[in-house]
Amino acid sequence: MQDLVYGLPGGDGDVPFREPWELRAFALAVAAYHSGQYEWSEFQLSLIESIKQWEADGARAGQEPWSYYEHWLTALETVLAGSGLLSEADLDDRTRSVLATPKSANHHEPHREPVAIDPAR
Amino acid sequence: MSASHSTAPVASDHQAEVVARVKAIESIMIEKGLMTTEAVDRLAEIYENEVGPQLGAKVVARAWTDPVFKARLLENASTACAEMGIGGLQGEDMVAVEDTDDLHHVIVCTLCSCYPWPVLGLPPNWYKQPAYRSRMVREPRKVLREEFGYAVADDVEVRVWDSSSELRYWVLPQRPEGTDGWSAEQLEALVTRDSMIGVGAPKAAQ
Repeated sequence: MQDLVYGLPGGDGDVPFREPWELRAFALAVAAYHSGQYEWSEFQLSLIESIKQWEADGARAGQEPWSYYEHWLTALETVLAGSGLLSEADLDDRTRSVLATPKSANHHEPHREPVAIDPAR
Repeated sequence: MSASHSTAPVASDHQAEVVARVKAIESIMIEKGLMTTEAVDRLAEIYENEVGPQLGAKVVARAWTDPVFKARLLENASTACAEMGIGGLQGEDMVAVEDTDDLHHVIVCTLCSCYPWPVLGLPPNWYKQPAYRSRMVREPRKVLREEFGYAVADDVEVRVWDSSSELRYWVLPQRPEGTDGWSAEQLEALVTRDSMIGVGAPKAAQ
């Protein structure tokens, strides 16, 4: 019962999101729904499907540990791909370029002058 | 909330990949003009800070003090909540189930994690765990006692309700004893998220 004990109210498990990306993935799915990219029920079916798949793979060695929002992300990718809005190749390319970009890509050069000046009047 | 303040380094390559995929999806969607960063920021803020069980607490407190409203709530929770300006995504087709002296209700979603967002906010992490989802159905009384420290008396029936995308349940807990004459505003403070999931009692009157 490690999972449930870990998840007892008051512990880390009591919050909706454990990592910032989870909240972002959540908001992206809701934003895409609000902008009319898919029906919410389509998204939910994809989410259920992804979870079922994980459960069916339960005994497989090396399976990724449970992460609700990874299923959420998979569901989002599936419905966006289904609407022709996202191809797996594009997403892979973009993901690689995000990974290749250092977090502080623009922070290495010293800026020795003020970045803007609003002159005295 | 802890997530937005997390400064821990990304744990693994797998995590880094996931984080990058979320960023990649966002940038592609923005390029295609399907959303703006501002819209995503705003949604994240609403669901992180504004939608939460304090809204459900208002509904419960009103039901405790207004029998006519309570009847409407039990008849149709979505329209009764809408009267109070509470509703939205995942708030369609809500059903409030009432605890009594003989009956205690608990909610679960066995398939994914359907949950009435407009009244309870987003579900806590444990609600989404496979262990909660499956065990609560098999042995609810035991899970309530052992995992949540909530002992349901033997002469009280426990009913577990499975939320789905078609119907989303939440619990109308029993009004705590010793609160006669309390206003709805005073009562609101006693209503907990867990009492509306059915894994805890409302706070006791002080």
